[in-house]
Amino acid sequence: MKKQELIDSLKEIVGKENVLSSDMDLALYSYDASLAKGMPDVVVMPASTGEVSKIMSLVHREKIPILGRGSGTNLTGGSIPARGGIVVHFSRMNHILEIDIPNRTVTVEPGVITLDLQTEVLKKGFVYQPDPASQKVSTIGGNVSENSGGPHCLKYGVTSNHVQGLELVLNDGTVIRTGGKSWDNPGYDIKGLFVGCEGTLGLVTKAVLKLERAPEAVKTMLAIYETIEDGANTVSAIIAEGIVPATLEMMDNRVMRAVEETIKVGYPLDAAAVLIIELDGMPEGMAENAEKIMEICKENNVREVRLAKDEAERAILWAGRKGAFGAVGQVRPSYLCCDGTVPRTKLPEVLAKVIEIGERYDLPIGNVFHAGDGNLHPLIMFDERDPDEKERVLKAGTEILKACADAGGTISGEHGVGLEKLRETSFVFCENDLEFERRIKKAFDPDDIINPGKMIPEPVCVQ
Amino acid sequence: MAGFKEIVERLTDIVGREFIKTRPEEIRGYAVDEMIPEAVIFPGNTKEVSGVVKLASRENLAIVPRGSGTKMCLGNPPKRLDLVVCVSRMNHMIDVDTSNLTITVEAGVKFRDIQARLATQEDRCYLPLDDLTTVADEVICSDRSHSGCFLPMDPSHANEATIGGIIAANSSGPRRLLYRLPRDSILGVRMVAPTGEILGSGGKTVKNVSGYDVSKLAVGSMGSLGILCEMTFKLLPLPEKMETLLISFGSFSDTSDFVEGLFETTLLPASVDVMNRRAYSHLRMDGIPDFGQGGYVSAIALEGFEPAVERIRNEISHMAKANGARSVAGIHEEKHPLFWLAISDLEQDLAGKAPGHIRARINYPISEWRGVIESAEIAFSGADLDYTIQTHAGSGICLANLLVDKEDSEGMDRAVITLNSLLGHCLRVGGNLVVERAPAGVKERLKVWGEAGSDFVVMKRVKDQIDPAGVMSPGRFIGGL
Repeated sequence: MKKQELIDSLKEIVGKENVLSSDMDLALYSYDASLAKGMPDVVVMPASTGEVSKIMSLVHREKIPILGRGSGTNLTGGSIPARGGIVVHFSRMNHILEIDIPNRTVTVEPGVITLDLQTEVLKKGFVYQPDPASQKVSTIGGNVSENSGGPHCLKYGVTSNHVQGLELVLNDGTVIRTGGKSWDNPGYDIKGLFVGCEGTLGLVTKAVLKLERAPEAVKTMLAIYETIEDGANTVSAIIAEGIVPATLEMMDNRVMRAVEETIKVGYPLDAAAVLIIELDGMPEGMAENAEKIMEICKENNVREVRLAKDEAERAILWAGRKGAFGAVGQVRPSYLCCDGTVPRTKLPEVLAKVIEIGERYDLPIGNVFHAGDGNLHPLIMFDERDPDEKERVLKAGTEILKACADAGGTISGEHGVGLEKLRETSFVFCENDLEFERRIKKAFDPDDIINPGKMIPEPVCVQ
Repeated sequence: MAGFKEIVERLTDIVGREFIKTRPEEIRGYAVDEMIPEAVIFPGNTKEVSGVVKLASRENLAIVPRGSGTKMCLGNPPKRLDLVVCVSRMNHMIDVDTSNLTITVEAGVKFRDIQARLATQEDRCYLPLDDLTTVADEVICSDRSHSGCFLPMDPSHANEATIGGIIAANSSGPRRLLYRLPRDSILGVRMVAPTGEILGSGGKTVKNVSGYDVSKLAVGSMGSLGILCEMTFKLLPLPEKMETLLISFGSFSDTSDFVEGLFETTLLPASVDVMNRRAYSHLRMDGIPDFGQGGYVSAIALEGFEPAVERIRNEISHMAKANGARSVAGIHEEKHPLFWLAISDLEQDLAGKAPGHIRARINYPISEWRGVIESAEIAFSGADLDYTIQTHAGSGICLANLLVDKEDSEGMDRAVITLNSLLGHCLRVGGNLVVERAPAGVKERLKVWGEAGSDFVVMKRVKDQIDPAGVMSPGRFIGGL
């Protein structure tokens, strides 16, 4: 099918104002929050499941690559077209369809912004727990596809634990529902497979998400340390004491400095690291637990523990954490975020390794991460225009992921494999594992046109 | 295809002579829905499972995996059956990492042994601690943690079930209200594919977006996609305080008003079960109150920090009395885990008493809980059936046991008609009805897995890709997969 024919057919489906094909428009969809780039042939903005189904039938017939996109915040190249074709932008499918309090669910379209949904349900006293740092811009469709994490995952689990049902458009345009308002549905857990599939199995057109009652009480603390190790050891000690906080987030000196240069939150610039500890739930027992935590901090050589006195103080502590990536972006033009994850007890040794790698490659690395669940986010800061520096960055990134894998962890906690970590999959998977994944992919997408080239590397040819 | 005798020889080479059974009197007990396999084999590790499955796949032998056998009543009768692969010898805890709050175990490890392994030094444990079967040569990564932890799952037959069976059958119980489902606890899996390859997915981290989440696909797959060999789970610290409230009500409307009121609050009990008197009276446990005749009993588990448990207990007791409760009793200390063990064993106890016993598991959107119980009770009593009913309010499950005599063909007919019509009602409210146990002959007249949804098309595609020859548990799963 000629490109113009394709554009015309898409215009028939969604209306001509909802198809973008100028060079300028396409360029805007050629990148995401990663270093990868890829140009689409056309961008289409459907308004309904029916339209998505028609688009999918068309690409099925014509064998044209297709991929869904929300706000394009992906950090591994997941939301850029690796082989051209159609980008389906879900910006118009951005409605909260139903907040069903008796069933503790909310049903949304994929283009809904995560924070908008959270703000809406909080008005009724409920929360949707997953809270990726990008929640102000990221969409539910993207969160589902990447199985997004966030600080709350320590206690409440990842996106997959909060997705009860999905409406999906399959490769041939068939619309199916998997899961729903009932927790249990006989048969394979198709929604479980879909969450975190990085958009490679089909397109999500609706999601039924789990709501929980907003916790009655929250307590937020900032613990300040002279060394990163002390902070990391505190994390393990808190869990060993039988307390699972809502969050345990860590930030090192370099990141604090970047934050203070952009958003002033009052982090101590002479400290090596801070830990944000938050408890939530019923108020009964919370004060005792906060006391215990302070004790543990002291045992691990904390300099000072600050307790947020009110919601305003709490918001300030969090503003720094949530704005950290952006702040780092102000220090150097580019950064590479390695999303390696390790068993939390391995944090001190892997952090030491990360620092060593940074020194060896002569690269500034900032650490801001979900310490409670062992999810590191070393940010390697650099200038993309300097080819030598970029080369070193990629090598250092690979070494960091290898260190995580060797410590019994994995190469991605929440950002996905996408295009950037295809090679690194060999650190955690053997050929059998990958072959099984290829079969799953084939079951959903035999023509290999749905977000092709991502997540699973091509088989190694043995000549 | 080789003769079966020759195949047995080759299987013996893989696992050793003492770990394969072929004599009829030895294998009769391993029949699946009255279908007797040619052989039962007991591999000792994942590699041996791989060897067995590779051979079976080459010879096109149909396999049904098995643990302790507590879930063998599930599913359609198999289309064919040659080998039962029993994982009971694979009972090693590979990595007990309490500091990281994860555990990795082989499929044949019993659920209660996991809980015992995670108990405190003072033997505080999530399950009653007695006659452990844990093997001694386990590899231990970290010492028994001082504060203790537990695997937050609540399967049926908790004392007998193996972890592999629990995951394959997606077994959950009352306390899923607080701890959610097996899919929420599993972090990783190693399994043997229907073609014999060993493959893995996930690992020891809570967050993991590296490849498809095969663990989720494995949960509830009923042995139709391969044999689960090793699994990793996330753990929780053992609750500081655990106790149970038993509240008896004279009428269902009082009970339901109370439960509805409870869900309006911000309290977080671990379970809110409602059962009829018949179910309560069948519980195999001494020392629980006799609430007299008729009415309903609500059993509420409270697990958490002590001050929180106290507050929930006080507020719930108040609410119960305000809603006309006849009496409120507490179950404390070591009786708390015993009570919930009795709940988890109820189904199997009844199956032992009534050989024709049928068990239905109804799922529904949680707001429909009252309507589901009422419709089920009207249907069962209208059909003059002896039944127990129990519901996990707030988490969408209703369990019914029909105590039918196997020889009572008229009673069986009434049960079948009633269940088929009840399925229709469940589907109308967005739920389903799975028959978890029924005599083999009766299963053919029931939709054992309820009605498949629109996602069945992809389930079939997945099954065809993963097990193209159809050797794993053929026909037992939904839609004959």
